[in-house]
Amino acid sequence: MTVTFDTYVPGSSLLHQLDPRVKLWATLLGFMAAFMLRGLGAQALFLAGIHLMLVAAGVPWHRLGGLWRQMAILVILILVLQPFLRPVGHEIFALGPLQLTVGGMLDAMRLALRALGIAFVVAALLYTTAQPALVSAMVRLGLPYPWGLTVSLTLRFLPAIQDLYHTVRDAQAARGWVAEGPLFRRLKEHLPVLVAVMIGTLRMSDQLTLALAARGLETTRQRTTWRALRMRQLDWGVALGATLAFCLLAWWQFAN
Amino acid sequence: MIRAHDVTFAYATRLPGESSRPVLTGCSLDLGTGEALAVMGPTGAGKSTLSYVLAGLAPRHTGGTLSGSVSIAGRDLRNGPPEIGSVGLLFQDAATQLFTTTVEDEVAWGLEAMGLASEEIGRRVEASLTAFELTTVRRRAPWALSGGQQKRLALAALWAMRPNALLLDEPLGGLDPEGRAEVLAAVSSLREAGTTLLIMTLHSETARQAGAFALLSDGQLSPAMPWEALVEQEAALIQTGLLFPSRLWPDLGPRGAVAGSIPAIEVKGVHFGYPGEAEVLHGIDLTIPQGQFVALVGRNGAGKSTVVRHLNGLLRPRSGTVSILGQPLAGRAAGTIARQVGFLFQRPEQQLFSPTVRDEIAYGPTRLGLSNVQTGVDRVLERFGLQDVADVPPALLGYGAQRTVTLAVLAALATPIIVLDEPTVGLDGRGLAQLLAWLTELREQGVTIVLVTHDLDLAARADRTITLDAGAIIADGPPAAVVGGDA
Repeated sequence: MTVTFDTYVPGSSLLHQLDPRVKLWATLLGFMAAFMLRGLGAQALFLAGIHLMLVAAGVPWHRLGGLWRQMAILVILILVLQPFLRPVGHEIFALGPLQLTVGGMLDAMRLALRALGIAFVVAALLYTTAQPALVSAMVRLGLPYPWGLTVSLTLRFLPAIQDLYHTVRDAQAARGWVAEGPLFRRLKEHLPVLVAVMIGTLRMSDQLTLALAARGLETTRQRTTWRALRMRQLDWGVALGATLAFCLLAWWQFAN
Repeated sequence: MIRAHDVTFAYATRLPGESSRPVLTGCSLDLGTGEALAVMGPTGAGKSTLSYVLAGLAPRHTGGTLSGSVSIAGRDLRNGPPEIGSVGLLFQDAATQLFTTTVEDEVAWGLEAMGLASEEIGRRVEASLTAFELTTVRRRAPWALSGGQQKRLALAALWAMRPNALLLDEPLGGLDPEGRAEVLAAVSSLREAGTTLLIMTLHSETARQAGAFALLSDGQLSPAMPWEALVEQEAALIQTGLLFPSRLWPDLGPRGAVAGSIPAIEVKGVHFGYPGEAEVLHGIDLTIPQGQFVALVGRNGAGKSTVVRHLNGLLRPRSGTVSILGQPLAGRAAGTIARQVGFLFQRPEQQLFSPTVRDEIAYGPTRLGLSNVQTGVDRVLERFGLQDVADVPPALLGYGAQRTVTLAVLAALATPIIVLDEPTVGLDGRGLAQLLAWLTELREQGVTIVLVTHDLDLAARADRTITLDAGAIIADGPPAAVVGGDA
């Protein structure tokens, strides 16, 4: 099976050039910030800021749109279900035990924005960091090389599996496969596609094992790095700036 | 340099009650430093398995049992894997062995595993990219390269490790003529540089570069013979199913379209581009009468597969219309268009999912609500000689048998139009003979055939040949005028 794409968007922006350890640190801070922000306006601003950063880094709009499409189901589920799970504040209507409230709806919107914020923070790391740099950063931060490689390859091949799904679905459609009707029926209709994807994924995994072994993954020699990671003044500056910004945000959130 | 003595290898059985049948039986070869040998054999003969054994990957990573001895550069592989970098293996599908995100990182990966100093890695990356003419694409993603470039990149990554020997598994497989020329040039330069080469191949042009060849058939390897002996061996090569020279092909010649009827396919002003990307088809106009046999040719990326994917609704035009047998496709699901248009995809292993071959063939007719499904399935099983494997999971069959199953799957749909996307890729002589025999039958039945191919011999046997370039039709007419006649 041909591996057709991954999450990385090649480029030479400031974000691309940052030391991956700084980006990992900033991702962690962004992750915590997404949980910390409570106001809808602040959350929306945070999300818009990440979008601006990604666009400035040269990530094409269709990649951002693709992530929005992938997140759409989760966001819709949150917006539809969450208000009924936690009905607080002014009641809009009630149907038996189900209550739709203003507070519940605001809560759902906060949760949806938080999920989007987390997704785009992680995307900012993956879109702008090449796989070898990500592995190097993880290894330099203490992760054993095979673990770092595993994480990186997983991120690298997940889109490939998605690509395989589309290929298989097309092949099945050419033989009369149509998924329509109620949700359960559509899920059942997907079974032959999923079986073929599973077989394809196992084959891909076998080939990858052979490819890695053939180029010396198992060697007992100490692995070296072509481009050793080196923190520059700019990297330290960005790391410090991100940390300060996070501390200010935390102070603002908890002091008010 | 490469020495194998009395090697017998069998994969572990995957079906209950199945006995383990050796893929290789008593194979021996001895290849000295700087020598080259082509191992020729039909699909399923065991060429890839032999390369895995010689690279130290089988049975270590594939499972199975190995007897006999193999040594690379004096190291006996029974005592452990080969020394890192001592032997390089180019996979049949090179794209599967590329796993980093840029061309230069791909070359550097193995050098980092060898523990070389960063300055030395940098020097070798430069030398390798230069030698394989990849410097201009060094920052591109491996998956964004053409097929020929991917093979050259995989070779560059192996060559950078300065291996004592290189094993090339079907280096020309799946490439267009341009890609084949690129890879042949790369292999030629490796040969001139004195690299020890073992090339597994279906193609005599690769064997000629090696200067010597051995035949692998039914798991048994013949002694090495000089290239010149290949002509004398032609009868044996045809007999084993490796070759099927075009002079022996059945006559697929013009039958003529069905006059006065509505067109089988009508494409009007089709423009297409993937979401968020530039346009790749620029106003395609095409009318194909019923019963016509049309070959679409052109370089990789010319838009051939994109055009034919519009014919069964897998892709929808940005503007323009596509009609099949007079009915516009707009608003119809691909699954319903399958009643009129059968489609053969390139990779059989991605299409097969049923627990048995019989179920696999029955799937399409059942979905489409055809009558007498079982009778039709039995007829197709017999037509393609699949009765013996009717109850075997198709995913466990070899590549050649899987290709046969995909033909049978298509035949069972009995559609009036059939689209074949690169049906000859990876086919040996036996597979090609089977495909041509089936095409002959389809011609006699008046089925409309649209075939995407790089094989100009095959294109020359169509009623009409269309050349695409950069998403536009640049030539359309009788094969003799478009591709130079019977090649």
